[in-house]
Amino acid sequence: MTSTEVAVERPPVSTRRNDRARRVPARGPRDLQRTFQLVLATVWLLDAVLQLQPFMFTRGSNGFSGMLNSLASGNPGWIAHTITWNGSIVYHEPVLTNALFASVQFLIAFGIVWQRTVRPALAVSVVWALGVWWFGEGLGGIFSGGATPFGGGPGGVLFYALLAVLLWPREGSDRPFVAARTVGVGAAKVVWAVTWGLLAVLCLVGSGRQPQALHDLVAGLDSGQPGWLAHLDRSTETFFLHHGTAAAIGLAIVCLIVASGVYLPDRLTQVTLVLAMVVFAIIWVAVQNFGGILAGGATDPNSGLLVVLLALTYWPLSDHDPLTNRSPRRTVTEEASAS
Amino acid sequence: MTGSPTWLYHLFAGLMLAVAAYCLLLLFVSAKERRMSGWDVDIAHIAMGIAMAGMFITEWSFGASWAWEFAFFVLMIWFIARSIQSIQEFGIHLPHYAIHALMSLAMLLMFAFPGGASGGPAPAMGMSETAGSRLDPGLSLLLAFAFFASAIFTLASHSKGASHHGTHVPDYALVGAVDGDGRVGDHAHVRPIGVLDKVVAAPWLEDASHVVMCVAMGLMLILMI
Repeated sequence: MTSTEVAVERPPVSTRRNDRARRVPARGPRDLQRTFQLVLATVWLLDAVLQLQPFMFTRGSNGFSGMLNSLASGNPGWIAHTITWNGSIVYHEPVLTNALFASVQFLIAFGIVWQRTVRPALAVSVVWALGVWWFGEGLGGIFSGGATPFGGGPGGVLFYALLAVLLWPREGSDRPFVAARTVGVGAAKVVWAVTWGLLAVLCLVGSGRQPQALHDLVAGLDSGQPGWLAHLDRSTETFFLHHGTAAAIGLAIVCLIVASGVYLPDRLTQVTLVLAMVVFAIIWVAVQNFGGILAGGATDPNSGLLVVLLALTYWPLSDHDPLTNRSPRRTVTEEASAS
Repeated sequence: MTGSPTWLYHLFAGLMLAVAAYCLLLLFVSAKERRMSGWDVDIAHIAMGIAMAGMFITEWSFGASWAWEFAFFVLMIWFIARSIQSIQEFGIHLPHYAIHALMSLAMLLMFAFPGGASGGPAPAMGMSETAGSRLDPGLSLLLAFAFFASAIFTLASHSKGASHHGTHVPDYALVGAVDGDGRVGDHAHVRPIGVLDKVVAAPWLEDASHVVMCVAMGLMLILMI
């Protein structure tokens, strides 16, 4: 990726030997908040392109409108009505609405890239994420009791909104951690604790601790997956069927440990963050199946990837941390001339 | 209109041909100015643009699949060699040529596994079918994500034009590339060039062609899942 390389300071003066010998001072500290914004923009770009899959432009139960309507079940009547109302609009104008949805996501992705538009883009992303959470994810299954974090509960798209708030541009230092730069250390820690506390609760309520429900969660995804993932799914299904309740309780305990992690000394915080990232990376692959993208019927990568990004924004940084400092610029010798 | 969005494929195929035409023009201008850094990227983008247009629209495809595979294999090896060379020259870093090696690999895979990752109908209709061979969708997703990241980080980079020339190359700065601190290349070294040439070789335009290529290639990989 070109961004990891260094900027050309000046054109060559004379010989290659002179160029190689010429070193310029190191740049200032790396802007990690900006780096994370760009990673978030990359995920938005992935979402935009996923929206361009052919089935999204079709009507019927296998189309986008059918997908939206299926999310209404289990919700209170008036909420279900709003979801099916939206589904009917998509049903009648599948090409127009889907092209519009994709365009909005392209605008968010590229809007975050430019410094001048990053704030409006992040603001739109919050509104859009909440809209998708309501109309496109059926409120994450909260009202139907199926919002287990194993399946992405309380809604993978909420993490986009949360990250947009925590990564809102603000001048200042990335220390003690990136998420604190905008909202402050105290508020950022409260946000973290509440988020993970909520995830812990969702592990245990509704169908979140029922072995059969957890088994069905994975079984519903394995159709169309590549062989290696389908094989992994079968192991996960068997595991949930026999140890579903224990797994739910275990994940709830992990979430509570992670929730308290930001109030611990830095070293222990790092341990809890690694725990969170490893656990949710495993869930993202073995349970969420990358959001179902590999089966060719997904609109986003679900929550696993975003949770890992969220955890990274809370990674404790020190003045001597290599993450916060750029490497010195390299010489300006022409790469091409090396040959 | 419902079903397969052919208008979308036409749009992307048109964009691919536009990128190929632009890179051909850029190659011509660069040769005229004897400013040949980035020529390999231009050639790769020309080949990729033409091949991708044929993947999006069957009628626009031509040439034997094996010939395209050979071309992209050669390009991939070339960019891998340039990446290694860059690391030897400048130490451990992510070389500029790595993304072009990955793009060449993706093209090679898309021709080698034309049936798509899951065996479903891919829009890559211009490619010959290889029975029983399927591209792993996980690899497709990984490559697509790398291309999207390249598009985003290229746009955000302060080193304009780096998508074609890398950031170790000084002469792309001669046509106005601006670094992170707003400095431009040393104009004492700039040869006078025409306005049209300057527009064609504008670093932001070079980056735009790379971004379009990355998004289109990522879309094709997603469509092949």
